[in-house]
Amino acid sequence: MNGAPNIYWFILPLVVAVSLVYTASRYESWPVIWARSARLCLWILAALIGTTAFLLLVNTQS
Amino acid sequence: MTDPSIPLRDPAKAALLAWLVPGLGHFYQGRRGKGWLYAGCILGLYAVGFYLGSGKNVYWRWVSPFNTDKFMLHYVGQFFVGLPALPALIQATIQHFHPGAEFLGGFMAEPSARVLNGLLLHGKPYEIGLIYTTVAGLLNVLAIYDAYDGPAYGRGDESEPTADEGDEATTADAVKAGGPRR
Repeated sequence: MNGAPNIYWFILPLVVAVSLVYTASRYESWPVIWARSARLCLWILAALIGTTAFLLLVNTQS
Repeated sequence: MTDPSIPLRDPAKAALLAWLVPGLGHFYQGRRGKGWLYAGCILGLYAVGFYLGSGKNVYWRWVSPFNTDKFMLHYVGQFFVGLPALPALIQATIQHFHPGAEFLGGFMAEPSARVLNGLLLHGKPYEIGLIYTTVAGLLNVLAIYDAYDGPAYGRGDESEPTADEGDEATTADAVKAGGPRR
């Protein structure tokens, strides 16, 4: 493991920004924007983690 | 449909401003909160991406879109960030008509193959920067549309019709449509 930050950490700000901007373009009410963007953020992260877990499961390479 | 309670002022002007600087169109409309949110998320993503790519991942090249080897597909996304990505287009246009001429000291000019290979050899930051800057531009398309036409689903905090109101509406619709009346 080298000193460079793990590239997976770069996904987090991307997902947060996508969730906030997408939800803000759908709604105008701030409580709705916060709540729905948090939910979207979790859904995207869950999908990414699930996909990664599946790929790890079927991975045959070292 | 646009909610009349949301001030869009001059939608075309707001959309143009939103393209020029992410969030500016919303400031123009007085939607300051959204202006800050779009500016923070989109410009932040773009700035970090540009930094990760050492300032060499936003550039344009005038070639046919069918020339897939040379066409700069990522700039099509980056273009929508507006002013921050515009020097690349100006630079490429100047170099297309006057090869060798430089604008802003070569800022956002197409890097040489040697420079690009060097950046790619350093690992992932260049590629991550490319993704960040491109996604930032694509997100601004949503912001531009929001400035032009308002939020897609309205305010979002309107009260849902109660079950009784819903039933009444359904019955009234059925009667209007000539349905059976008991």
